[in-house]
Amino acid sequence: MCPARRGRGRRGAMRRQEPEQEQRRGRPLPGAVGALCRALPPRARPAPDTLRRAKFDRPQASLDFWRLLYTLLKQIHGHKWAESDAIDNQIRFVKAALWYHGYDRPELYRLPSDGSAGSRELLLAFSWLLHRISLLEQILAQNRVKTGDETSVCTCEDDLRNSLKGTTEKAPEPGLEGGVDVRYLQWLNGRLRFQWRSLHAQHQEQCKLLHKIHLFTSGSHMDQILGHFSVTETDLVRQPENYKQLLQLLESETMQLEAFLEWKQLEPVYWQWMVKTREEELQKEGFSATARKIQESVELKLLDLAYLCAPPRKRMHGSHRLVFRSKHPASKMVFGGSVSKESVSIVSATEVIRKLQMRETSLARELKQLREESRQRLAEVAEGLDGVICISP
Amino acid sequence: MLPRGCGRRSAAALLAALGEGARRRRELEQRAARSSALLRRWGSEEEEQAQPEAGASNGRESKPSPEELEELELLNKALEKALKVRKSILKTPLEAQGATGEKCAGEEPAPKNAEEQQVPVPVEDVPVSTKVRSVGKKPASLKKPSPYQLKAPYRTDPEVKKLQKKALSRCVSRSPRTAGKSSSKGVVCKQGRSPRRPVSAGAREDCAPAEPQKAPGSSRSSLNAQQRFSIGDSAEEKNSVAAGRHLLDAGKKSCGFLGESSKKESPAAERALGRSTSPRRVTLQEKGCQLKLPLAYRKAYFRNFRAWERCRLCQTSAGAAAARTRFIERIQTTFCSPRPAFSPAEIEEELKVLQDVPSLLSQYVEAELADQTTLQREYESLLTLEGLQTTVSQCLCKLQLLRAAVESQRKMHPDCPGDIGSCSPACVPSRGQMCDSAGMLAVPLLCYSSFQELRDLFALKLQVSILHQEIALQKLMMAELLPVLEARPWPEASAAQLYRAVYTQLCEGGKRFPVLVRDELAD
Repeated sequence: MCPARRGRGRRGAMRRQEPEQEQRRGRPLPGAVGALCRALPPRARPAPDTLRRAKFDRPQASLDFWRLLYTLLKQIHGHKWAESDAIDNQIRFVKAALWYHGYDRPELYRLPSDGSAGSRELLLAFSWLLHRISLLEQILAQNRVKTGDETSVCTCEDDLRNSLKGTTEKAPEPGLEGGVDVRYLQWLNGRLRFQWRSLHAQHQEQCKLLHKIHLFTSGSHMDQILGHFSVTETDLVRQPENYKQLLQLLESETMQLEAFLEWKQLEPVYWQWMVKTREEELQKEGFSATARKIQESVELKLLDLAYLCAPPRKRMHGSHRLVFRSKHPASKMVFGGSVSKESVSIVSATEVIRKLQMRETSLARELKQLREESRQRLAEVAEGLDGVICISP
Repeated sequence: MLPRGCGRRSAAALLAALGEGARRRRELEQRAARSSALLRRWGSEEEEQAQPEAGASNGRESKPSPEELEELELLNKALEKALKVRKSILKTPLEAQGATGEKCAGEEPAPKNAEEQQVPVPVEDVPVSTKVRSVGKKPASLKKPSPYQLKAPYRTDPEVKKLQKKALSRCVSRSPRTAGKSSSKGVVCKQGRSPRRPVSAGAREDCAPAEPQKAPGSSRSSLNAQQRFSIGDSAEEKNSVAAGRHLLDAGKKSCGFLGESSKKESPAAERALGRSTSPRRVTLQEKGCQLKLPLAYRKAYFRNFRAWERCRLCQTSAGAAAARTRFIERIQTTFCSPRPAFSPAEIEEELKVLQDVPSLLSQYVEAELADQTTLQREYESLLTLEGLQTTVSQCLCKLQLLRAAVESQRKMHPDCPGDIGSCSPACVPSRGQMCDSAGMLAVPLLCYSSFQELRDLFALKLQVSILHQEIALQKLMMAELLPVLEARPWPEASAAQLYRAVYTQLCEGGKRFPVLVRDELAD
């Protein structure tokens, strides 16, 4: 069945085939694909046609698909939107990201880096991602409209390190002809340390202001779980005309969520469609492949057994809205209905503080070790300085 | 001087960090401005115009300005004077200065290059600390003269001036310590040479409106130092020994001091809030709990909230789950064989868990190393240590697995870069487990129960971020600067200075410095 379909090279004939297939499967497939596309954020929204063309391995869909995967994966990894990246950079990033998540299908990595072919491979990879990292849910959660005082809770290294790495290759400062005086470095270092102190003071100031606003607006929010306004919401009361865009964002997110619900209803159709895609692949490969696959699935089973040690602790990432809750219990209902505890994922500041303290101790220890190492190496150097003894502080 | 390449790279890294910090400060300033506007009387739009332009006066400069160089000149002259005074004192031996004497005697005879700048350099900490002492001891007399001298060479922000006057009396006794401390960085500064200048002057540059006190205090003290020296100094010399140690605490104090001063600002601000001149203008404090969000927003919020709830509660149908699993199984059978035990994402997750373990374990071990008094305690200690040992071997085992996994991944994909993004919020379920995708759709909240908790939270976040940065810079500088010193022959005759600078930077975080003593006995 499949080879015969593919045997027809003319686009017109294929076009006629597609609606027939749709009808054979019933209406749901376009609906499912459409809902899937609408559940993706506006910036990374493919046309439903792209997915359909990809199923038939159309080359024209390849570029679009690479771009789609690039945008989605960049968002997942917390990078800034960078549309201006060239196509081969985009492809390289997508391949690296897929490898990172454990997608080990060699055919994908052999795809050309000009984006001219491979849309079916990309469709397979996209579907794998949908399941493996709950792509849709993650993207929705990450792009959640921020109406509160969001703050991140993860203890990961932020972009500072990356920005440091990036600049070491940049062109040197003008005016640094000849060598650089080490005192200049000391001066810069001193300024940096002063900047840290100022940042600390600024943060403390910000805490004070935030807390005041939270306190003063307690009891005003219609959402009892939150209880008080955020800075944004308070400003919204003061100057509603400045926040039209926020309202639009909320509306558009709601529509996205509704598309997601639709997609969940129609999900089986999509996966069956994908299984068919896979089967078309399989029939191409022949018998030896089948044997190999059986071997590999057995290996998979055995590897799971060998997987040792405790599962990783739940890691917290992402932005959380800051909510002030004094110690006395406040379990009122919201909107008159009952809201279960699971509708909110609460992280307590105490927990975060504990984690941060652990991280801080770890990092301080690491810094101390580095300094110790420096001290030892410099002690060796000091022996070479004749006639001078170094007394450390 | 450092060789061209490594100096530039280090400078570039530091400048990048400074730029990043400046960006964060600007962001914070904006947010603070927004929040303060909300706390003031509403309807007072003219106050909006007084947006702090501290962002304009900035930390973006990468070279000291002429005013700062002038100040450096003055400072150097002051130090020269101090040195002359000190020399005249040292001619009469003083046992009380035993410790200092050893230090000074070692440095007095000119080191290798015998330039005159070397002489003020080693003893710079002494006069600086003298400055600290002298100013600290007589705070009262400083109050009057200081503000007037301040204006001439310094750029002050207009808003900053107001706050300066309020804070002067408070900060007098503390800020000189900052000056003393930051001037200590001028240890290797040579007379008349430009690039180096005390941080205190730079403090003015970066001054946000919230903490102007630092700058006036420090520059004030440096100007005053000149005057003080001309008034009898001999008594103050004796304090130099003790004063040197006080330099170390300055950093902590200034931190606390800044926090305090902002706290002290708030009662004043709150008093202002309490007064409302016209009945139209109300403050958030008065009517905060009666505010209502606009209807349009409430509707949109409600709809949005409901949609999230429905999404969270909707289950994957059985048919979908089955079809999905079938697809995934089939596609995973086409993956490379043999499959590595961990995907790179999983490796990273595991490593993140493990990275805090050594520090935690050493804390436990240290707790158990104390001598135990009773038999029960000994036994408890033994069991604890055994448990720790098991944990350690488990972790080492895990590390081995991870290392093997990394190797096999590298072999499979030699051309894939190792670094995609550091903070990957991608939920990585361990193989065979389904990720709790519904959990991702719940409203993420971070609840704090007291003001102190909020402050601790932010302070710790900043501290962790700073430590990350420090470690990165430390590694970079070690890679750049140590080879310069380890390579023979020495780059220049001023090797001792370079050595001390590098030592300060790499081993003491730029805060303290070693003493280089000429080894007379070697001859």
